[in-house]
Amino acid sequence: MTIPFFGESIFVPSDVIAAWILSILLGAILFIYVMKKRKWPIIWEYMRTTNHRKIGTMYILFGVIFFIRAGTDALLIRLQLAQPHAEFWVFQQDKYNELFTTHGTMMIFFVAMPLLIGLMNAAVPLQIGARDLAFPFLNAVSFWLFLGGAVLFNMSFFFNSAPNAGWTGYAPLSTDTFTPDVGNDYYIFSLQLSGLGTIFTAINMIVTIIRHRAPGMKLTRMPLFPWATLITSFLILIAFSVLSMGLYLLMFDRMFGTGFFSDDTGSPVYWQHLFWIFGHPEVYILALPAFGIFSDVIAAFSKKRIFGYPAMVLSIALIGFLGFMVWAHHMFTVGLGPMANTFFAVTTMLIAVPTGIKVFNWLFTMRGGVVKITTPMLFALGFIPTFVMGGVTGVMLSVAAANFQYHDTHFVVAHFHYTIIGSTILGIFAGLYFWYPKITGKVLDEKLGKWHFWLFIIGFHLTFLPMHITGLQGMPRRVYTYEWGDELFALNLTSTIGAFLMGSSMLFVVWNLYKTHKYGEKAGNDPWDGRTLEWTVPSPSPEHSFEPMPIVKEMDPFWYAKIAGEKLRTTNNARPAPISTKTIVPLCIAVSLSIMSIGMIYTWYLLAVLGGASAFLLFIVRSLTDERKEYYRKEEHSNE
Amino acid sequence: MKKHFTLTLLLVLGLLQGCNVAVLDPMSETAKEQTFLINFSFSLMMIVLIIVFLLMARFVWKYRETDKNKHVIPKDVKGNRKLEIAWTILPVLLLVVLAIPTIAITYDQSASSPAATEKQAGEIHIDVKAQQFFWTFTYENGKESSKELVLPKGKPIIFHLKSKDVIHSFWIPSLGGKTDVLPGKELVYEIDNPKIGTYDGKCAEFCGVNHTKMRFKTKVVSVEAYHKWLKK
Repeated sequence: MTIPFFGESIFVPSDVIAAWILSILLGAILFIYVMKKRKWPIIWEYMRTTNHRKIGTMYILFGVIFFIRAGTDALLIRLQLAQPHAEFWVFQQDKYNELFTTHGTMMIFFVAMPLLIGLMNAAVPLQIGARDLAFPFLNAVSFWLFLGGAVLFNMSFFFNSAPNAGWTGYAPLSTDTFTPDVGNDYYIFSLQLSGLGTIFTAINMIVTIIRHRAPGMKLTRMPLFPWATLITSFLILIAFSVLSMGLYLLMFDRMFGTGFFSDDTGSPVYWQHLFWIFGHPEVYILALPAFGIFSDVIAAFSKKRIFGYPAMVLSIALIGFLGFMVWAHHMFTVGLGPMANTFFAVTTMLIAVPTGIKVFNWLFTMRGGVVKITTPMLFALGFIPTFVMGGVTGVMLSVAAANFQYHDTHFVVAHFHYTIIGSTILGIFAGLYFWYPKITGKVLDEKLGKWHFWLFIIGFHLTFLPMHITGLQGMPRRVYTYEWGDELFALNLTSTIGAFLMGSSMLFVVWNLYKTHKYGEKAGNDPWDGRTLEWTVPSPSPEHSFEPMPIVKEMDPFWYAKIAGEKLRTTNNARPAPISTKTIVPLCIAVSLSIMSIGMIYTWYLLAVLGGASAFLLFIVRSLTDERKEYYRKEEHSNE
Repeated sequence: MKKHFTLTLLLVLGLLQGCNVAVLDPMSETAKEQTFLINFSFSLMMIVLIIVFLLMARFVWKYRETDKNKHVIPKDVKGNRKLEIAWTILPVLLLVVLAIPTIAITYDQSASSPAATEKQAGEIHIDVKAQQFFWTFTYENGKESSKELVLPKGKPIIFHLKSKDVIHSFWIPSLGGKTDVLPGKELVYEIDNPKIGTYDGKCAEFCGVNHTKMRFKTKVVSVEAYHKWLKK
């Protein structure tokens, strides 16, 4: 459609127009709802909060919203691939390229990451007996930076300039010579912004877990989700810094004429190295927290402590460590030579060993227990076979010479969806059903939860199992159509049907949310007969938790106290809690940096300078405020 | 879960029969070695898969919550050193078995830069130039073709790959794995002993708007027919 714009007429594709109309309609409905129900105070409250549960809730809320958006992208992809020579809507050629780029980027950075970080925020402090994250202000900054990045990324689509070089942004395709449009600048700046937030979260989590555990909660007694969070945070610290550097160099290549990734002064392969030195640890950044969630869920619903706890912790650490030594297995076909190919093939195979240890330990946790099949447990049980299938194709992919065949085909697409959906997404669902009472105070409906699980898992296998075969039949990744003669029709149609089954399972989530909040009863402290400290505090967790502070004498302290029929011993002599404040500064920092990014993207440098200056001013303001002052004064008074 | 697995297997077998899977039906020596690795690693991994599936099915079924054991507090088991050592050592052994042929074939087949290879008699050298969104094949006598690549049967074919713009990837599934085609750096990849037939070739690395359309036909013909075609 052509639209007149300041005297010029510009072409706007119909999908963009549809998105504008839909967003305006939804926005209007939301606005009316908020007005009618007088929800402004709550929104204002959340905009200024620094409380870990509330920030976690916002991470999860927006993670789910972006999940729906990126999931819609997936369904559009599947519609275009449903049959040979399909001409679905506008999604051919560049539109299709934008579609899979957005799908991948959003799912990784704006869905999986915030949902995991949201769960970490909501659960980890409660599991280790911390009253909040170590740096509540920084936590709010992290969240708003993530949201700023995500909104920026979504804006690109509404202005019909979505990034189109794949979520991996391979140079030189992603440089200004081949994609001069602003799309890939949006990619750079939105990932830069949200990546910064992620790095802050990692620092926050590390300090919280090291410094703010309950008395007696030694590292060797800590539940596995906090353990996974700790190790993941170290991975984030290194991996996201590398991503940040890579994006920085790419920005210079695109905007200021440098040639880091060009073939004469630099090399396009450098980008691949940087990207995968980030990208492969990123896979474990997504998987390890999920492993942690499953460990806690499986132990709770088997009524047994986790089998082989030391091995579980060690294997998380080992996976994290090895995760940094395998990046070039994404690059077997770029001609690094036989030596590099073999080295990375072998290190990749090695990762299977600690992963295998974990799988067997989960299985043996159930052995001899009483396995209660609740919705979170169901997701954990679905995870084991699904993830192992993804794991074995991972080992097959590590066989470098065979990888020449698999590489860049739908076999790989199948593999990484088996691992990422199999671990991360199922883990997120398990965690959400499990900790939902701690976040909102209500237990989600079990029956609808089970419907969600079965539709999702059946749809999932139906979608991705056939892709192993289409890949081996010769279907490359990132193609928008295929020929009748390729004999790919039946399998692709199966995938499309499966995808819609998965999509429909999300309707049960919506229904479940509605039903739970309309009719659900308030949950007690301990709805699942849990083992760890989070089940000792009220649901939803209050802003001042653990008063008085419990003393931990063993692993799973709450469980053993319940068995002994005792209450956990408590003390009033605990480390002072981090001080929460209400402040709008974090939001303003993120808005300033977003404005700066927009200025950079469109090379409106005045706007960029304004945004940057405003952010800098806010840093100064922040440096001069100390919310602890008041408390110091009180302490001094009481000492006198 | 057991049912789940059987269904999966049936689905795979059923689907495999219905279609022709290029990679599993190798038409050259190079592809044959790769297919061997695929089948070999697949069989080894099926062992792992079956063990996990069986254990899981058994544990979930046997220890599920029933009215009888509802209020039982199960005995705590911290771990079991022997078992844990077993499932550390056995996978390592399995991987060693897999690593040996992997290393051997990978060393033999990895694409290399041109300096490492010497020209030998009997080899067919073909320059492959990729650009958005087509291929140009230049043969030893200077002849060029674009939509189709013609190869003589039974010879070692050495491809010299180079890109004019972005990164592409050269792939003929029936004849062997892919090799990236980079700007500014030539890569050399060998396909040995192809059989007569017509095969699809495509670009496998996403390269822009018409990546999907960057396909070509590969015709493997007899040596005489090849020379005749070259002179045409």
